[in-house]
Amino acid sequence: MPNKLFKHIPNAGLIFFFVLLTSFFCLFANNFSTSMNAENILAGYSFIAIIALGQMFPITARGIDLSTGSIVALAGMVIYDCMLIFELSGWVSIGLGILAATLAGALNGILIVRFNLQPFVATLATLAGYRGLVYAISGRQLYPELATTPLRDPAVKALNEFYDIGSWTGLDQFFQTPWIPVSFFVLLGVMIALFVLLTLSPYGTALKATGGNYEAARLAGLPVRTITISAYAMSGLLAGIGAVLLVSRLTTSTESLGIGMELTAIAAAVIGGTRLQGGKGNVLGPVLGAFLLGIILVGLTLMGISQFVQQMLTGGILLAAVGYDSFRTRKQA
Amino acid sequence: MTKYINDESNNRRSFLKTAMLGTAAVGAGVVLPSLPVSENIGVANAASDGKAKMAFIQWQPHTVPNAWSKGIEEVLTAQQSFDYQLLDGQNKVEVQVSLMETLINDGAKVIFLQPIDSVALAPSIASAKRRGISVITLNIDATEEHAAHVEMNHYFGAMDIARVMGEKMGGKGEVAILNAPPGIIIRDQRTNGFVEGMAKYHPDIKIVADVNAEWSRKKAQDVLSTVLASNPNLTGVYGVNDSMALGAVDVAKQKGVLDKMTIFGNDGEKDALESIEKGELSGTQYTDVYQQGRFAASVAAVLASGGISARDFQSQGKLLMPYTIATADNVGEIQSAQRW
Repeated sequence: MPNKLFKHIPNAGLIFFFVLLTSFFCLFANNFSTSMNAENILAGYSFIAIIALGQMFPITARGIDLSTGSIVALAGMVIYDCMLIFELSGWVSIGLGILAATLAGALNGILIVRFNLQPFVATLATLAGYRGLVYAISGRQLYPELATTPLRDPAVKALNEFYDIGSWTGLDQFFQTPWIPVSFFVLLGVMIALFVLLTLSPYGTALKATGGNYEAARLAGLPVRTITISAYAMSGLLAGIGAVLLVSRLTTSTESLGIGMELTAIAAAVIGGTRLQGGKGNVLGPVLGAFLLGIILVGLTLMGISQFVQQMLTGGILLAAVGYDSFRTRKQA
Repeated sequence: MTKYINDESNNRRSFLKTAMLGTAAVGAGVVLPSLPVSENIGVANAASDGKAKMAFIQWQPHTVPNAWSKGIEEVLTAQQSFDYQLLDGQNKVEVQVSLMETLINDGAKVIFLQPIDSVALAPSIASAKRRGISVITLNIDATEEHAAHVEMNHYFGAMDIARVMGEKMGGKGEVAILNAPPGIIIRDQRTNGFVEGMAKYHPDIKIVADVNAEWSRKKAQDVLSTVLASNPNLTGVYGVNDSMALGAVDVAKQKGVLDKMTIFGNDGEKDALESIEKGELSGTQYTDVYQQGRFAASVAAVLASGGISARDFQSQGKLLMPYTIATADNVGEIQSAQRW
């Protein structure tokens, strides 16, 4: 029975909608169904998908991380400074950037657990705090002559490469295959690692239990405080990885990098079925959510739809997704 | 058994709901192109009607890019051979990059760009250039050479502001600069031009404060109140945009010191010109921004109709806009159709 099958596919509704919308744009938007467009969407949204996967952790723990965009900027600026001011090697700089992001995320968790702050308030405060820190450490301000110097390290170049998988596999004999960006491979790696972490290790169950019912999880003996901190550290870590890919794509970092990205990431996570009331989320949903936002922007642009109508449609889709989430929660209550 | 049936029924309902959501959004897409809400009805048929595509990727919707777009559209519409689209960069570099790539894929002939960052957009500008697509930047230049750059005369205009402002102050006094946040080239051009202009024309005027008011009228009000408390002898204020200068006018009026203050802005937007006519703001650098859009579109139309590829340029073209230092003496000469 199709319904039985449907039941076992995660995010079946979203996958259906995704396919439907993609097919619609392929038919009605000029140049949507080209390999170059596929490359653009893969390169332009893989890093957002990774950041949305990060956002899934605090949301699953019944929290939220509003500082994601600022953490992206912080990681970006650490990489920028390490490469251009301290002249460290590319991979070391990237490692330090990701470390800074993870620590910033963990600090969010510590503020929430240690000082008993609401996640919304704590991460709203660090949204401003980390952004201020980015301005304070900005190599662009400290050494204005560096402001127009792009990052040319081999590591940055390597992360912005595209690979002709179609030619390797022989698929390009049948149709024109897109070249796959490194960022998409990184996304696949992250998805596999998170799938193992959330589904095959006890951590996933503990995280969902903490978000689903904090008190019950605590009474059951789960280290709920550590789990909460880890959820925010994961958000920071993945924001850091996203920042690395973004910086490689732009060949620079700016003080305003990632402004508003927390909202995109939250939107992608929620569209992907991460329940705002906590306790539920999987690795496929946020990724589909991020790419859905991507195809909407690109598809509507190619159709020549006005920028304001684009925003209204995007808002409408988000509202419908959140409404659907709330409907589903009520139904299960 | 009952639970199974319920689950199955719930699943069906969930699926139907999602399908309805999808259909609704797709339906909206089908309907919208025929409604007047679509800015550019013809783009989807660009290939079939033989019109070349051009688009402007703005920073985010704001008075200045809106006026540029109006000027661009005016010229391109008259040519009858171009489809034009205004796009929103949403104040995000990654969105601007994504839109650049989308336009390159769509075979645009010319892309007008107000880059959020001079370096971050460079790789996609290079990518456009490889495909022969001309990029024309407006006001903010990029580090990657491209077809042309059309900008307000930030540096020399700011020098002129310093000259005229100093004359109105009688060549002496103390001035505060209400500045933009760091990190944008035009901030430096407008600040450096002013500081060097003061040093050149009015060396006795001291610049006693240079504070960040984040381009905002409200923020300028807060910041200037603090500056005035620590600098009671302040007699001049320069806002690097008009909004901040108008914030300074608000504070001066409130404190009853407008008569002894000389306040200059930069840009020349409608509100600033009206304030000058009311005798409040002392002056501003006025640029006809519609004209700036028209100039950029003229360049684009000539390049596209002449079959000039971005790869044909020996070096990047540059055009500085003519400007006027508008004060009470000459503001009346700016026609209503030139006000934005």
